[in-house]
Amino acid sequence: MAEKFKLNDHERETLIFTGRMIVAGILVLLLLACLASWMAYLQIYRYEYFAARSDGNRLHSQYVSPNRGLIYDRNGVLLADNRPIFNLTVVRETATNLDVSLDLLRSVINLSDDDIEQYRTRQSRRAVPHTSVPLRYQLSEEEIAAIAVNQHMLPGFAVEAQLVRHYPFADMSAHAIGYVSEINKEELEAMSPEQAENYRGTHQIGKTGIEKTYEDMLHGTVGYETVEKNNRGQVMRVLDRTDPVPGRDIVLHLDSRLQAAAERALGERRGAVVAIDPATGGVLAMVSKPGYDPNLFVTGISRDQLTELNRSGHTPLFNRAIASRVPGSTIKPFIGLAGLYNGVITPETVIGDPGYFRLQGRSRPYYDWTWWVDKSGHGAIDLRRAIYQSCNTYFYQLAVDLGIDKIHDYLLTFGFGQNLAIDIPEASVGIVPSEAWKRENRNEPWYVGETPYEGIGNGIFQATTLQMASAAAAIANHGVIRQPRLLKGTIGSDGEITDVIFEDTAASRQLLPSQEQVELVRNAMVDVVNKPYDPNNRRHEGSAYPVLRESGRPLPYPMGGKSGTAQVVEFRVDSAGNRDESEVDERFRTHAMFIAFDASEKSRIAVAVFVENGGGGGSVAFPVAREVLDAYLLPEGEHYPEVSLAAYDAVDELDHDHDHDH
Amino acid sequence: MATRSSSRPLGDRFYQLSTGRGEFWQSLRIDPPLVLSLFCLAAYGLLVLFSASGENVGDVQRQAAAIVVAFVVMTAVAQLEVDFFRRGAPLMFVGGLVVLGVVLAIGSEVNGAKAWLDLPGLPSFQPSELEKFLVPMMLAWYMSTRSLPPKFKDLVVCGVIILIPAVLILLQNDTGTALMVIMSGVFTVLLAGISWKIVFAGITAVLAASPAWYIFLAQPHQKNRILTFFDPYRDPTGAGYNIIQSQIAIGSGGVQGKGWLNGAQSQLDFIPESNTDFILAVLAEEFGLLGVLFLIFLYLLVLGRGFYIALTAQDTFSRLLAGSIVLTFFFYAFVNMAMVSGLMPVVGLPLPLVSKGGTSIVTLLIGFGILMSIQTHKRVLPR
Repeated sequence: MAEKFKLNDHERETLIFTGRMIVAGILVLLLLACLASWMAYLQIYRYEYFAARSDGNRLHSQYVSPNRGLIYDRNGVLLADNRPIFNLTVVRETATNLDVSLDLLRSVINLSDDDIEQYRTRQSRRAVPHTSVPLRYQLSEEEIAAIAVNQHMLPGFAVEAQLVRHYPFADMSAHAIGYVSEINKEELEAMSPEQAENYRGTHQIGKTGIEKTYEDMLHGTVGYETVEKNNRGQVMRVLDRTDPVPGRDIVLHLDSRLQAAAERALGERRGAVVAIDPATGGVLAMVSKPGYDPNLFVTGISRDQLTELNRSGHTPLFNRAIASRVPGSTIKPFIGLAGLYNGVITPETVIGDPGYFRLQGRSRPYYDWTWWVDKSGHGAIDLRRAIYQSCNTYFYQLAVDLGIDKIHDYLLTFGFGQNLAIDIPEASVGIVPSEAWKRENRNEPWYVGETPYEGIGNGIFQATTLQMASAAAAIANHGVIRQPRLLKGTIGSDGEITDVIFEDTAASRQLLPSQEQVELVRNAMVDVVNKPYDPNNRRHEGSAYPVLRESGRPLPYPMGGKSGTAQVVEFRVDSAGNRDESEVDERFRTHAMFIAFDASEKSRIAVAVFVENGGGGGSVAFPVAREVLDAYLLPEGEHYPEVSLAAYDAVDELDHDHDHDH
Repeated sequence: MATRSSSRPLGDRFYQLSTGRGEFWQSLRIDPPLVLSLFCLAAYGLLVLFSASGENVGDVQRQAAAIVVAFVVMTAVAQLEVDFFRRGAPLMFVGGLVVLGVVLAIGSEVNGAKAWLDLPGLPSFQPSELEKFLVPMMLAWYMSTRSLPPKFKDLVVCGVIILIPAVLILLQNDTGTALMVIMSGVFTVLLAGISWKIVFAGITAVLAASPAWYIFLAQPHQKNRILTFFDPYRDPTGAGYNIIQSQIAIGSGGVQGKGWLNGAQSQLDFIPESNTDFILAVLAEEFGLLGVLFLIFLYLLVLGRGFYIALTAQDTFSRLLAGSIVLTFFFYAFVNMAMVSGLMPVVGLPLPLVSKGGTSIVTLLIGFGILMSIQTHKRVLPR
């Protein structure tokens, strides 16, 4: 090979190569210096930025929602608890193939378009990035298994356990307790920043009833934890945690057994029952029928379910216990008290009742119910008999003698025209008319001709079943009214119950005649139920007594009450004055009312019953009220067997409350 | 081989190293500085791989085994005379082309590239990898038969020698390897003393042609990579994800790093391909800037020794071959590091001697085996 070498060439080639290698070496050094500088730029100059980005990748603050406080009734029965359910959740940031994943899920679990639509709404409301949003609630075990099998194809999806509200009694106490449901945008926007912060981990909020009223107490305080998550959003470590403070457990005055009894007593009819402990104002029962299952709302009611709920046309979501309507004759005892208080009448005042009332100088008659029976009247009648016989003429006269403004002022002190309840803010205030009220609301002067109707509760005046129960409780409590309330106490972390003391100002504002006069009215109401038929004195029996007698079950405890029948539409009565309720469309039948109370010295319960389009107050509502009192006052097991409602229907003709006259 | 003279009595054919020990290593055809620096690199790589693979002992064992095999292969290659490569170059080149053809026909596909040959009884391998030596070898042989610098006619021949295997590899849909093969050829031609005018003309032509390539020839995924390079945030969870996460890992490592096995980005799987192409991100996150500089230092040791071997090689063939192998190795490492740190668009190249992958290490060390052969088979020049 050596002979091939030409020395010159060899040296020249070495020179060329060496030159090139030097150039290459310089380039290599330059490029590596560039690289090192770039690395230094990234790792020194931009270190803070990338370190923050790295922490942002892995560190996630999660809110830990507090467990909602439990709700107990007065006997320690759970009315609302929390139950674990398994939800399918999505972290949008890691769900790289949302649509594909959703399609897959649709084929393996029950996932409706409605679910997906609701998910998108929730997603749009989510405040904190990288947090999970529920897609489907309450997965079945099969569904959890199906998701686990396909997990590798579902990035960003996870099955999470969550405690959600559960109402063991479902329909029974829905209207009293209310329900929680998903927080909506309006609710979030209405919150102060601190409040909103506290709800970061919470999906549900109280929407109605106790759940709403005591939301702050029940909710608790949100906790926080800082977790380290990997690329797939799995939590690898919990780095820091502030435990949430669970919501307060609360105890209500409500008695679930009584609540159940009241519900049973109403049966399938629409209506409401409110029972109150007269001494405390505690609401023992608050039933509105038809009810609904509040559990449906907790994780978001579907459109179909809502349609189904409303299909009946019976508006189950509407709380009849706190809606106002004309009270019929149940108002009479209070008009009587107003008369006594204002000195317009005394217990001895007697008027003559020819079967109708006429305003001075006018010809138009206002009829007593007796007129429709036999065109007779009550003859000479005093307040006590006027109450237990439910004499219209007496109260027409009394109302006119009082004048609308005095009636107005007096009724206010019994809690009408305002929401006296401490913790039922949704309750209607009703209407207590006055001259000023009418000018303001109807832009008309008050006509004297309207006043008589206010005496018998078939005018403008409206009250809720709750207000009637509260007013009845005041009479049961010998005239002293207590503000109705649901909350009895709270349970501390040690399990001790602390009674809640509300400032109760109702009684101090109350206008009462002498104690004897209050007792007279109270006794007249006892007569309503108990005064027996006297063959020698026609129309001297209690108006509800025939129903009691027909039931064949004498009362084992003293009971007072007053029936009422409120007309729904005006009837034109035929010349004979006959109207057959059975011929009237159910929707236009009268509402049946009854207020009742335990008439013992220390009264333990007062009740107001409202049966929508039920018919007569005495025949329909009285038995319901009695059932409720029985359930509360009789020892357990001694309740009378349930009596079929047909037995009551048989005595319908004896209902004395038909006071329609126009 | 006949003529020789030496001042030493036993002055045999071997170039004399400074010590007697050197003589010993030379007789084994081993170049201790090169082997030592390569060994350090591989050991450093294993350390990083252990962390990058999520403390997977199996992965590390397999990689260590591959390294041992590669060192054995390197030593074996070093036993071959330089003449073997010189004389065998044309034959090996043609043989390589045939194998490439076979791969095109019966090769198996991995990651979209039909570049692998599965022969019964042998571990599957990628024949195109060997072209990184075969092309420079062929070019070095061709040019050692001419006088340097190459003339225009020679350049045309060189172009053909480079393009035939490059096209075959492109047909296998393996752009990365094709690029490396072309570069290894280009380095040989550059070292051979091609006129600077032509070099600049070539660079200008490439720059001028690249927009046309981008508009007419580039495939969508290639365009995407380039767009992503200029703005990774145009698709932060898709195409830009790798480079964004990789930069976060590097930057958040700071000067000292987060500590071995403590890189949050690495350990929590935010870095894709963290044990192969993107392993530098793991290294930079856990060992910081100091770790990166140490890696560059180790590469510089290897490169320095390679430069020395190339510069002291005795004939044109050896020089060109050694120079090309060294520069290709540099190019390899640089492209990977620049790509992972966001200085270059993403191309699928591993970090030499660090990334997981036995084939890559074995082929790299075959290259260094050739270097050692060149270094240890020197003849003493006649004086």
